[in-house]
Amino acid sequence: MSDRPHPFLIVVAGLVYLFLMLPLVIVVGAALSDTTYLTFPPQGLSLRWFENIFEISAFRRTIVTSLQIAFLGTMIALLIGIPAAYALNRFRIELPKWLGTLFVLPILVPEIVFGFALLKSFTVGTGAPIFLSLLIGHTLIVLPYVVRVISASLASFDFSVEEAAISLGSAPVKTFFTIVLPNIRAGVIAAFILAFITSLNDVSVSLFLTGPGISTLPIQILAHVEQFFDPTVASVSVLLMFLTVAVMAVVERTLGLTFLAK
Amino acid sequence: MTSRRFWRRSGATGWALSAPATLAVIGFLLIPIGAVIAGTFMDPRGVFAPYISYFNSGFRTTVLFRTLQIAAITTIISLIFGFMTAYVVSRAPGKLKSLLIVAAVFPLLTGVVVRAFAWLIILGRNGILNQTLLGLGITSEPLEMLYTQGAVIIGMVYLFVPLMVLSLVGVLENIPKDVLQASSSLGASPLATFWQVLLPLAVPGLIVGAVLVFTGSFTAYATPQLLGGERQTVLATLLHQRAMVSFDWVGASTIAAIMTVITITIVLAMSHIARRINPMAT
Amino acid sequence: MTQPLDLQAVSAHYGTTKVLEDLSLSVQAGELVSLLGASGCGKTTTLRLIAGFLRPTTGSIQLGGRDLTRLPPHKRDIGLVFQNYALFPHLSVLDNVAFGLKQRGLGSSERRKRAMAMLERVGLSALADRAPGALSGGQKQRVALARALVIEPPLLMFDEPLSNLDAKLRVDMRVEIRQLQRSNGTTSVYVTHDQEEAFSISDRVAIMSAGRLMQFDKPEILYRRPANTFVARFVGFENIIPLKVIAREGDVVTAETAGVTLRLSQAVYGAIPDTFLLATRPDGLVVSTDPAAEGLPARLGLRTYLGRAYQYQCETAAGPLIANGSLTAPLEAGTGVKLVPMPEQCTILASEGAR
Repeated sequence: MSDRPHPFLIVVAGLVYLFLMLPLVIVVGAALSDTTYLTFPPQGLSLRWFENIFEISAFRRTIVTSLQIAFLGTMIALLIGIPAAYALNRFRIELPKWLGTLFVLPILVPEIVFGFALLKSFTVGTGAPIFLSLLIGHTLIVLPYVVRVISASLASFDFSVEEAAISLGSAPVKTFFTIVLPNIRAGVIAAFILAFITSLNDVSVSLFLTGPGISTLPIQILAHVEQFFDPTVASVSVLLMFLTVAVMAVVERTLGLTFLAK
Repeated sequence: MTSRRFWRRSGATGWALSAPATLAVIGFLLIPIGAVIAGTFMDPRGVFAPYISYFNSGFRTTVLFRTLQIAAITTIISLIFGFMTAYVVSRAPGKLKSLLIVAAVFPLLTGVVVRAFAWLIILGRNGILNQTLLGLGITSEPLEMLYTQGAVIIGMVYLFVPLMVLSLVGVLENIPKDVLQASSSLGASPLATFWQVLLPLAVPGLIVGAVLVFTGSFTAYATPQLLGGERQTVLATLLHQRAMVSFDWVGASTIAAIMTVITITIVLAMSHIARRINPMAT
Repeated sequence: MTQPLDLQAVSAHYGTTKVLEDLSLSVQAGELVSLLGASGCGKTTTLRLIAGFLRPTTGSIQLGGRDLTRLPPHKRDIGLVFQNYALFPHLSVLDNVAFGLKQRGLGSSERRKRAMAMLERVGLSALADRAPGALSGGQKQRVALARALVIEPPLLMFDEPLSNLDAKLRVDMRVEIRQLQRSNGTTSVYVTHDQEEAFSISDRVAIMSAGRLMQFDKPEILYRRPANTFVARFVGFENIIPLKVIAREGDVVTAETAGVTLRLSQAVYGAIPDTFLLATRPDGLVVSTDPAAEGLPARLGLRTYLGRAYQYQCETAAGPLIANGSLTAPLEAGTGVKLVPMPEQCTILASEGAR
């Protein structure tokens, strides 16, 4: 359509984007401030609050834990999610419809309820270590993203290509790795990134699955904010934003950014 | 060969491949949540005792209604602004459109804690907004904006508008262009096309978006915790407080059960409605 | 109600790419004109320009003396039938047809009456309350047609309306469209890439290529007397032989190509320039085994069976040619023959360089 939206709508959209961007700009500004309290615009530029992150051992430890959990959880989710997504697409007729719904459940059920239930019924019930509970919790909350994104890329995959390979004498398992997987590579990368970031940012599940010595970065940020009102948290936030930008740059390089919108 | 064909047809391979994920969801999600909900009905005081005591508490019912209210207002605001923004984005020329989509994805990939924290800096007693208002002489004393329902709603809208924009851009782009062109070729003005064609066709998508935002804000924790504090306790913060501060596991389980039932009911009911009125389904 | 359409020197761009160049086209009142060409030739662009979904860079568009050039689509009063039907999925069949009447401010009972009458005409009154999604392709196309016709537009336009239907239905529908158009006498523009469809349905056909109008004439003339090599190849003149006149004796012209001479009569072909192209379909070359026949010596190559004839790929001094031979005496590959042009099935084209 060649006709433009009404000017009023354009103004509203502009304000909405301003509303979306401005707070993030403010966080960046606050992180660079030389003052001991949070302020914007920054008064005197300094990177000392970034150094401060690494001087507080709780931040150091939780950053490591968060990265470990996000990486391991995502890998496990891919490991069990890719075969599941493959099965859902390849055996669409044979498998019942509720199976697809089952994999959506972890985002359908309130996350905070899931975190609490996992703590009450699993961790306390079995006496399982906190780290293991945390890993299980994170694996499950990212599983829906993995299954959905992989399913979406399998949906556009022509399975007759796989059959062609098998008819040419390739073993089914080998065919999956040599024919199917390379064709859904973009989906796997997208699923990894989406899952990793989701896990890294998670609050509601981690909230219950932290214990002495084990916590994740978002939980540590929450705790820090409630006690101190200094720019450290702003610096951590900026660090996380940088990570997001870096990830988006990787996505842009490999897949094109509009991919994320799907 | 026959055995493989049998495996193919029976879907046993499919079951085998999806088994690990299926068992994980059942074992670590369905059973624990089921156990929590079932536990609330095994109270020595009686089957519904925890629920009776929940609804007898004025404070707790207030929390439930406050949570519903915040979620409803957040949803409505996000719908209105999300739809208008999505409409503009969907009409933007190629390059600008991708840029706008990226600009909506970015906050979405930034954590909820970071995004709530941003509003803490803005709305705080010594925050930017107060400094500005004082500096301009609009107020003589800093306003108490934090720990109000308004603060929580702003934080929630901030959280969910990008989600709404992205899902509605998808919805609007799925409406075939030639249907809109058919409308104007038949003499419908742009406004008539909007009301009589575009909006009715977007309704199922609007419902889906609304459900996403409603359930999301109904169960959010970090934003009400940081921006609402104890004064604006919602179900999620109450659940955490009951479980981790008061160690009232029965009370926490009851809240968990209420949240689950409300969420699932809304999702099922609305997706059923959305499917029924979806004109593009057939 | 019916009005002439006039396009004058219309050009259009998508970004910096020129998609339509200097197109002038006049459609008389009540006439059905097809725009015919391969995808990307500019035919759909032309339709979108007339409908108002695209603005021309230069030129003007007039309908019955009304200047449409700057008018928004919803004020143009043009009935459009889309390739994908573009029915409103949220409205019933009846409401789809009544949509345009509603925009014109008609009362609901009047809308209903007229829409029902139109559905009656396309034979769908029984389906008035159905949702469009529940209809077959042919039924959808009828609804789209009814929806465009009911507003009694001075101009009807069709954008490849039959391309999503199967072959049998396509033929039935085009007859139906033509009958409706005839009885209403509505000026119509019909876009298609299907030559047979265009020729069978139209009063005149505009053949387009690369954003230009190649020839605009009656189907009979396009089919027998293409104006240039593009149109000639497009309508099936697969053999195009360049010739040079070496002698003229009254009406008879002797022309030469690659050492072979042919004699052509200007009484049949009209005036023949000094260098020209002789164009013919495979049917226009007779495969003769008579060594005395006057034609191009050729060696037969691959033979294929067409049902009504055998077709031969032939090697000649003037290059490869295609000829159809009789079913009664199939010839083997390698046979030396003469290819004799049949004057009534050949046409003369100006050499490309000379144009």
